[in-house]
Amino acid sequence: MLSLRILSLTLLASAVFGQSPDQVEYFEKNVRPLLVKNCQGCHNAKLQSGGVDLSSATGFQEAGLFKKDKPEASRILVVTSYEGSVKMPPMGKLKADDLAKLAEWCKMGAPWPGAAESKATSTAAKPADFTPEQKAFWAFQQRKDPAPPAVKNKAWVQNPIDQFILAKLEERGLKPAPKADKLTLLRRATLDLTGLPPTPDEIKAFEADQSPQAYAKLIDRLLASPRYGERWGRHWLDVARYADSTGNDEDHRYPYAFRYRDYVIQAFNDDMPYSQFVREQLAGDLMSGNTEDKFNKRAITATGFLALGAKALAQQDKKKMLYDVYDEQVDVVSKAFLGMTMACARCHNHKFDPILTRDYYSLTGMFASTKSFAKPDAFVSEMLLKPLVPEAKYKQYQKEQAHLKSLKFAVDEYAEQQVQAHSHEMAAKLAAYLTAARDPKASREGLDEAIVKRLAGMITNPKAKEHWAELAKASVEDVPKIAAKMQADAEKALKTWDTELDKWREKARKVPADSDMAPPEKPKFDAKKSPVVNELFMGNGIFAVAEKQQEKIFPPAAFAKLGDLKKIYDDFKKQAMPEPDMADAVEEDKPVHQKVLIRGDLNNPGEDAPVAVPAILSSYNPPKQFQGSGRMEFAGWLVDPANPLPSRVMVNRIWSWHFGEGIVRSVDNFGKTGERPDNLELLDYLANRFIQNGWSVKQLTKAIMLSNTYQMAAETEDKAYTVDPENRMLSRFNRQRMSVEQLRDSMLFISGKLDETMGGTLQSGFGTDGENSSGRLSMKPEALTRRTVYVPLRRANLPNMMNLFDFGDATTVNGHRSLTNVAPQALFMMNSGFVEQRSSELAKTVFAAASDPRERINQAFVRILNRKPSGEEADRALTYISNMQERFKEPEAKAWQSFCQILFSSNEFIYIE
Amino acid sequence: MSLSDQSLNALRRLYHQEEKPATRRAMLRAAGCGFGFMGLAGLLAQEALGDTAAPVNPMAPKPPMFPAKAKRVIFLFMHGGPSSVDTFDPKARLDTDNGKPSPIKAPLSFSKDLGMLMKSPWEFKNYGQSGIPVSSLFPNVAECVDDMCVIRSLVGEGVDHGAALLQSFTGSSTFIRPSMGSWVLYGLGTENQNLPGFITIKPALSHGGSKNWASAFLPGSYQGTAIGNAGMKVSDIQGEPIEYLLNKMYTPDEQRYELDMLQNINRKHAELRKHDPQLEARIQAFELAFRMQAQAPEAFQVEKESEATKKLYGMDEEVTKDFGWQCLLARRLAERGVRYIQCTHSYKWDQHSDLVVGHTKNAKEVDKPISGLLKDLKARGLLEDTLVIWSGEFGRTPVSQGANGRDHNPYGYTLWMAGGGVKPGFIYGATDEIGYHATENRMHLHDFHATVLHLLGMDHEKLTYKYNGRDFRLTDVAGNVHRGIMA
Repeated sequence: MLSLRILSLTLLASAVFGQSPDQVEYFEKNVRPLLVKNCQGCHNAKLQSGGVDLSSATGFQEAGLFKKDKPEASRILVVTSYEGSVKMPPMGKLKADDLAKLAEWCKMGAPWPGAAESKATSTAAKPADFTPEQKAFWAFQQRKDPAPPAVKNKAWVQNPIDQFILAKLEERGLKPAPKADKLTLLRRATLDLTGLPPTPDEIKAFEADQSPQAYAKLIDRLLASPRYGERWGRHWLDVARYADSTGNDEDHRYPYAFRYRDYVIQAFNDDMPYSQFVREQLAGDLMSGNTEDKFNKRAITATGFLALGAKALAQQDKKKMLYDVYDEQVDVVSKAFLGMTMACARCHNHKFDPILTRDYYSLTGMFASTKSFAKPDAFVSEMLLKPLVPEAKYKQYQKEQAHLKSLKFAVDEYAEQQVQAHSHEMAAKLAAYLTAARDPKASREGLDEAIVKRLAGMITNPKAKEHWAELAKASVEDVPKIAAKMQADAEKALKTWDTELDKWREKARKVPADSDMAPPEKPKFDAKKSPVVNELFMGNGIFAVAEKQQEKIFPPAAFAKLGDLKKIYDDFKKQAMPEPDMADAVEEDKPVHQKVLIRGDLNNPGEDAPVAVPAILSSYNPPKQFQGSGRMEFAGWLVDPANPLPSRVMVNRIWSWHFGEGIVRSVDNFGKTGERPDNLELLDYLANRFIQNGWSVKQLTKAIMLSNTYQMAAETEDKAYTVDPENRMLSRFNRQRMSVEQLRDSMLFISGKLDETMGGTLQSGFGTDGENSSGRLSMKPEALTRRTVYVPLRRANLPNMMNLFDFGDATTVNGHRSLTNVAPQALFMMNSGFVEQRSSELAKTVFAAASDPRERINQAFVRILNRKPSGEEADRALTYISNMQERFKEPEAKAWQSFCQILFSSNEFIYIE
Repeated sequence: MSLSDQSLNALRRLYHQEEKPATRRAMLRAAGCGFGFMGLAGLLAQEALGDTAAPVNPMAPKPPMFPAKAKRVIFLFMHGGPSSVDTFDPKARLDTDNGKPSPIKAPLSFSKDLGMLMKSPWEFKNYGQSGIPVSSLFPNVAECVDDMCVIRSLVGEGVDHGAALLQSFTGSSTFIRPSMGSWVLYGLGTENQNLPGFITIKPALSHGGSKNWASAFLPGSYQGTAIGNAGMKVSDIQGEPIEYLLNKMYTPDEQRYELDMLQNINRKHAELRKHDPQLEARIQAFELAFRMQAQAPEAFQVEKESEATKKLYGMDEEVTKDFGWQCLLARRLAERGVRYIQCTHSYKWDQHSDLVVGHTKNAKEVDKPISGLLKDLKARGLLEDTLVIWSGEFGRTPVSQGANGRDHNPYGYTLWMAGGGVKPGFIYGATDEIGYHATENRMHLHDFHATVLHLLGMDHEKLTYKYNGRDFRLTDVAGNVHRGIMA
């Protein structure tokens, strides 16, 4: 009964969609059972293996397995034919009559009861399909040009920023917090802009400067400090998910990642216009010419932004690996510059935002047309390393290197001739030597007694190699016979070795002079062929010729000639071009005609997806044409003033790095699931001003820091905490916990140990290390003294200290670190050697600086907390120090160290307000 | 009254004086991603201060979504990939067709030099009442088969170690996602606030390294805590099992005195800033850290176990000493309420060549310790609510690689579980007749994850976390719970 009902329902459904009852019956009887039995184990609604669901009509349609216009070429027939690269089902080819059934069914038009009229194979909606609500979403609207609103308390206004803030506060009946006191402001601004606290001298000078310009001068001084780029460049490196290795699987080093990091630091120090910064990071390679005068080393380095993502180099499905890399690049670009989470649209249109699968693949095409790998198909794919000199110059370098190798070959080859002659000479005496070594009474004629002694020691050594056993154990009478046999064997092996060396010379001669090919490497003697020859004549063997012995052993004329050859080599080496700088970067590849991959399935291409801007933003002056990969034009569009988003996104980032929270709190996500701006007028005002000021980050920062909004105290009237507990209206400054960089660098700085060297890398080597090697760990920041931004980061194993203090995982855009407050951090402050050492060093400094204990306490307070202690605080500190000595019998130095550690561990130190 | 009691009392007084935070949301924000594994509220709740603030502690034990047997997990990870057809999934066809070409074309492989079918060099025998076959590689584990549920149909997607490890532990072979241990901690909290809730002993630094035990976008307090790493000797780990845990400078009294001075300064500072719960939270974090360093080290004192127990785990023999220590430590941690524990037999099982030499040595190193762990857990009544899982990141091919090795095989491999509500003495799923692909009751890694969460009383579709505007799950958009393995 039940089945009858289902049948009648399907009949009804099929009638609606124009499938004949016969066709439906054919499907139910012949095709569905076949699909259930062979396919639905993996291709069901839940698993959707490979993005294909064969359990429903919709699933089948969406998978694009049927070609309406050419049914015999339908993908379902191709994969089941077992003739292409994809063979389904994987467990074995279907039986011939099953295949025939499938073919027949396709010929009928693949009727499936319940299916809607076949849609286009595309999963992409049209822009027209966006809902009015989506189109009206705030982020996609043009920026307005809001005038700073009128406010009652005009006296409070330093600049228009204050008007936007104060207007909102007044609306809610709130007052702005009073101005922070001078020293608080000094500490706040200095840590904000340089990541380091002010020095005692700076404190003194700032306190003494009573002029109205004192604070503005302070900001100028800090912005001009090279420390500024190290602090603010690090903010951007969070966005760029910067690290020094690939992370996934083999975690290969990015040997030149540091150049990108240094580029970012320099860009902030130079106040490079943000528009140029965006362009260079996306398309710097295209902004460089290939001649000496047009070559742009900096811009090429900038593309490290695209190159330095997490990658799985040992993935054996290389196509998948590449598309995962493009995906990562789409993700970083869309979040960093547009505040859009486009990578969500890899398999289907974005669930919440008006982002189409088609938009996603349009950007994917840009990166599929860009090269991140030198050899993507290698077993462990090899990344692209780009010389930072014009191509011609690099060719020249390679040629010189090849020539240098030829010269080296000439030296080695000639020396080897002499060595060979010497070897034969010695081999002829081998039996005599061995006999002498075993028998003190044997003849020494023509032998070197020193060598005899060494041989004797070697043979009779209990740890001697196995091939000496026979000789060592033989009775003295048997020795000559054994020795003779060994000599014969050795001479034979050396002759074979001669032939091998001749072959090497032959090959080397075939390398054309003046080519950039290097001669072949000298072969290695195969120890298995003669362990005796290997031990005596090769390497450091007794009969081998070390470089030092050449003069003594080679004939004088030969030695002189060898010297001439060496000189030629050395002279050329001196004037040869040094190795050019290299970068982990990207470059233009052949343009790819990217198609939408339906449900993200690499083997299921849909409609074309040429490079384009996201459809929802397509009314904002999109490029008329894209050249090559399209990166250049896309980057240009990003920083086109008509584009509503990138200026807002960056201004919001800068705001959040000053205040701890953005105007839009979800700084990397301006979409529907993100937060709404707390003050859209202010955001737009700042974004417009940012563009008008030539995208100058420093000017924006200065405007922000000179506002009274920035200068408010962190404490204010009680009412503000009830009305606005989260401080969205900014009635007070947000107290902020130090970042791990601020914490570590400040402690090093205060204790006088910070190494202020800029740039370069502390990481050495290429590739990766053994699976269980500690080489896979990041270097410990506790053991280094450079600023934290220069600590190299092995992505798979970030330093513990950085994990502990919320560094983030350096694999995705992280514009806003969530700062936690957990007990393991307290353990670090209490127990780590790092904190102990910093405290101990500082204790020594304050101890040396003054003899009066009270002055010492002053010094400790000023250096760590940037203020003097109250009388009561100083009293208690002194009591503590004397108690440590009396009650716990600690030496004075340790008592002071302990007190410094307390100040370093205090809330007042780690919270900036 | 001891010093720590004094401080606790001070803390109580202080807590009662403290004004209620403006809103709970503000309090949560202030706590950032929580107080970590020794949350303020957990402590306060333990000390019977009522549970008003209990929801604040992300580590506080939470009831499962539905009743479940398993309360904790011990994952014994065989890094490198042990061969299933040589351990728990015998294939007669390999014996009969040894040296013949494979009847099916090899799917995407890791290595390129794959050859003919290769029979197992080891003999299988049936063990226990269940008669489950085990090869001669595991004579000791074989004694426990009646407690084990052998699943012969695991399926993963990664043919290289990196992808396979990531998928085994995080669900995704490509992207950085929270690890299973982090999800479990997020879902269930942990029972002992003085120990981390997720501990991984001697984890691998390679093939994703810490990403395999990291919390990714889940709050940092859910990340695994590593005890040493795979490259370290036990003797180098014992001194300080958790970095920064031990104070080497002071006696407890002296350190307490130092801490009192710090807290004094911090409280004076906080008095003038009464609206900021972060400041109080940090004061508490120091108190909790102080307690933790006093109490946590005891859990790691494996040497305090009886000689008989140590022997049971093979700690008296050089070859089994290392993994024996790991297993015994795992039991001690399980006993003390740690939610999720992993032991790693370091990257040794990757026998692309010399299968006989490598697998023999590897099995010897873990066989006794594993059987020791199972027997000990059972004797102590812990096996019932502890889910033990044994697995590699994949199995190995039934065809040879080179002269005498086997390549990676994620298409059908064996994993076993014991305790924690799984059917004892039971075989589930099957591979094809040569052991290449799973054919019966295929358990994709997503299914495996869904099933483990289910055994712990959680619905994998409901255990979600919102990040960047999307609800994420351990099982992404997939995963079927395999009820067939449940007792």
